[in-house]
Amino acid sequence: MSIQLENISKYYGQQVVVNNLSLEVKDGEFFVLLGASGSGKTTVLNIIAGLIQPDKGKVLLHGRDVTELATQERNVGFVFQNYALFQYMTVAENIEFGLSVRKIEKSKREKRRDELLELVGLVGLGRRMPSQLSGGQQQRVALARALALEPDVLLLDEPLGALDAKIRVELRRSLKNIQRQSGVAAILVTHDQDEAFDLADRIGVMNFGRLIEVGTPQELYQYPKTEYVASFLGSANLLLGQIKAGQVYIGDHAFPLSDETYNFNPNQRAQILFRPEDVALAASQEDLGCMPLGQGKIIEQGFNGSNEHLRVEMPAIEGVRPIAPLVPYGLSGFLLDINRSAEQSTNFPTQKSDLAWVGIRRLHVLSHPGLNFLLVTDGSLRSSPAISLGGYLARMAHARLTMLGIGQDSARLEEHLLEARKQVGSGMAAMSVQTSTKPFSKAVAEAVEMQPLDMAIMGWRPTVGFSDIESALQTGEHHLLLAAQPTPRLGKALICLESGEPGKDNVAFAGRLLRHLGADATLMTVITNEAQDDSQQRRIERFLTAGKNSLARFGVDANIQIRTGPLISAIQEEMKTEAYDLLVLGAPLPNAYGKVDLHGTIGTILNSVENCSFLIIRSRQFQRLQNRFRRNL
Amino acid sequence: MEISLDHRQSKTRTPERLLRASGLLYIGLMVLIPLIVILQDGLRQGFAELIHQVTLPIARSAILLTLWTSSLMTIINAVMGLMTAYALVRFEFPGKRVLNAIIDLPLSIPTLVTGVMLVMLYGPQEVIGRFLLEKFNLQIIFAQPGIVLSLLFISFPFVVRNIQPVLQDLDQTQERAAATLGANSWTIFRKIVLPALIPPMLSGSLLSFSRAIGEFGAVVIVAGNIPLKTQTGAVYVLGAVESENRLGASAVSLILIGIAFIVLALANLIHKRWGSHK
Repeated sequence: MSIQLENISKYYGQQVVVNNLSLEVKDGEFFVLLGASGSGKTTVLNIIAGLIQPDKGKVLLHGRDVTELATQERNVGFVFQNYALFQYMTVAENIEFGLSVRKIEKSKREKRRDELLELVGLVGLGRRMPSQLSGGQQQRVALARALALEPDVLLLDEPLGALDAKIRVELRRSLKNIQRQSGVAAILVTHDQDEAFDLADRIGVMNFGRLIEVGTPQELYQYPKTEYVASFLGSANLLLGQIKAGQVYIGDHAFPLSDETYNFNPNQRAQILFRPEDVALAASQEDLGCMPLGQGKIIEQGFNGSNEHLRVEMPAIEGVRPIAPLVPYGLSGFLLDINRSAEQSTNFPTQKSDLAWVGIRRLHVLSHPGLNFLLVTDGSLRSSPAISLGGYLARMAHARLTMLGIGQDSARLEEHLLEARKQVGSGMAAMSVQTSTKPFSKAVAEAVEMQPLDMAIMGWRPTVGFSDIESALQTGEHHLLLAAQPTPRLGKALICLESGEPGKDNVAFAGRLLRHLGADATLMTVITNEAQDDSQQRRIERFLTAGKNSLARFGVDANIQIRTGPLISAIQEEMKTEAYDLLVLGAPLPNAYGKVDLHGTIGTILNSVENCSFLIIRSRQFQRLQNRFRRNL
Repeated sequence: MEISLDHRQSKTRTPERLLRASGLLYIGLMVLIPLIVILQDGLRQGFAELIHQVTLPIARSAILLTLWTSSLMTIINAVMGLMTAYALVRFEFPGKRVLNAIIDLPLSIPTLVTGVMLVMLYGPQEVIGRFLLEKFNLQIIFAQPGIVLSLLFISFPFVVRNIQPVLQDLDQTQERAAATLGANSWTIFRKIVLPALIPPMLSGSLLSFSRAIGEFGAVVIVAGNIPLKTQTGAVYVLGAVESENRLGASAVSLILIGIAFIVLALANLIHKRWGSHK
């Protein structure tokens, strides 16, 4: 293994630049880190080179731990976007610089220099000054200079970014050849997808300091796991549909779940991806030659030289929500992007405004469905932690965020929401705003019924009382986050578990959330009965270890903890031992009338623990009871 | 179309001409004519007489003293100015902003005041001055070290302020690149940073040199006016004027002007040649 990064984190103040990132690059591999600007990819490169020191984690080069070593001792070749050639030295002196620093004798130095000039195709230019070369030539010199010492790894920071399009493509080709010839493992950082697809053996997609997915270009394009990667690479048609009994449903249209081996629940919502080239167009349903989706209207048609690009407006389908392409305001249906080869266009020529049958040749279900958050604010003091924490979580988890503003005075509410939007910032998958003039609990109840949600985020202060929280748990199917801290950071979570089924649900959702935050967790079970025996203790230990393993699958590190004694005081004790930012608790089950009552254990804890946010998880059992009650209604 | 263009040009031409003419007239009145007058005055009795005047023992000694004290000051200033600029740009320390603002102060303090300050610090009756005199037999005030010190003070900003912007704009990725190639920080400074700083250091040094040649106020207070010992060129000119030796005053002045002119031209050349080199 040429490069190993283990749980690297880097913070600048409160901001996480690299978030618990682990990565392995094999010998001779060309690895591309792909991400938008600000995703932390260049920082990762600088950490490998030792130009930036990580706050956490380890860097290993060829099995050697170099985390504490200075840049000079790491033997890495680094190529910078702006070439960074030494302006007062000739090309030859630039290339020989590393060799002369190591006091290599002159004849060997010159031999190596000539080899390298040959390798990068600049024979005869050794005596020029960098300013006399073109950008492409300068970058070749930089590459030769980086390779002069036969580095253990080659790090390339957007090396082609400053070049003209044509030279870029040309240099891309020679870059790959040179890397192959020298056999050195390379990491290239870029925001250019074409470049990544062209060069990479494997690509790692980064966003907000996290490595979201790693795979070959084909894997990532055809079988992405996350919404971010699906929509970041190429263009995507993404819909929210259903999986029922092993089939994928877009409305009433059933598609076979292809040979992917993910463990989907038999019934669940699913994000369905199909690429523009996977969509078929035909004059009639029979001519499609694949599963039909319906009849749509062509609203855009263009030609890019090799392909025809179309956009089709489809009528709304019950129970289906479009994610990408974005649907313009006021349109009830959804849009599809389609690419057709010249041959396909000739077989069925179309024009703008034509109606055509649309079918799907191949689709893919994302195994990591994106998170969907509702952020509730009424502009009062208690809402302010909800806004800062909600924004932070939505950014980190790349979730879709709906902000619900509640208030009677619409002008003031408007102003507050504007401010809140600013505070929340950008970087989430999607962001929308709703307003309501109804009372708090009623407004929340309506909002959570309107859309499937993973989590609602509300502010919490002990003085406010439980009624809003109770009513928020009586509707919808979301978990509830009560934000109480002024500063939005979740570094350490305490997950309290009852041994058994509900506990598993706590771990599962906490894992989905915490994996985005680089947070550590403690899994704790409290044994409350006096007469405890060894077998009970062992059973609980096994249960917690299983929970720890599940969290590890999400990349979350966890400790386990067993306490005995009354539940409330045990939790209070544990909260004192560590600076926990988040306490995860299971919601108390609803009574026979569907009512949730927090006056009890949870209420006491909410009132007694300070400077900590709470995540209240509804178990599946909770949901079953509530659904039964709603059916009876 | 062409006509209207012509029309517009002729319209802009008049104010443009006016601007240019008034600029040139101003330079002529303020700088050129006084220079011509002194040139003419110095050469009034022929070139040989001018040479004779400046090679008189007292005059020659004054000119030579001016040259060597200014040169010594320039060398010290170049090295220390480089270090000061580096510290101000590359390091963070408390009071950095205040210090940065203070650097220009010598330019606005009357140089007479500078002289007084130095006398108060190093005078033979003062603590430091007495200490140096007694322990090291080193006299500062009314001696040549005093001249160098006062010149250092008054021309301190030139090198620092010339290097600072260049250092600030210097692309640090070159230094990082050198680090990845195994160079330690001294090698990086020597091979990567220093070559970029030499042109501004040179031009700053030359500026401070030409500034020092003409210095009068601080020097006359600190060094006194001892012919053959602490009398510099500028002080000599004053003495010559006061004793109505007009030719001697013009002759030495011309030499000082000539040196200043050559040095400034050199500084300009360096700035032109390397200043825009990137």
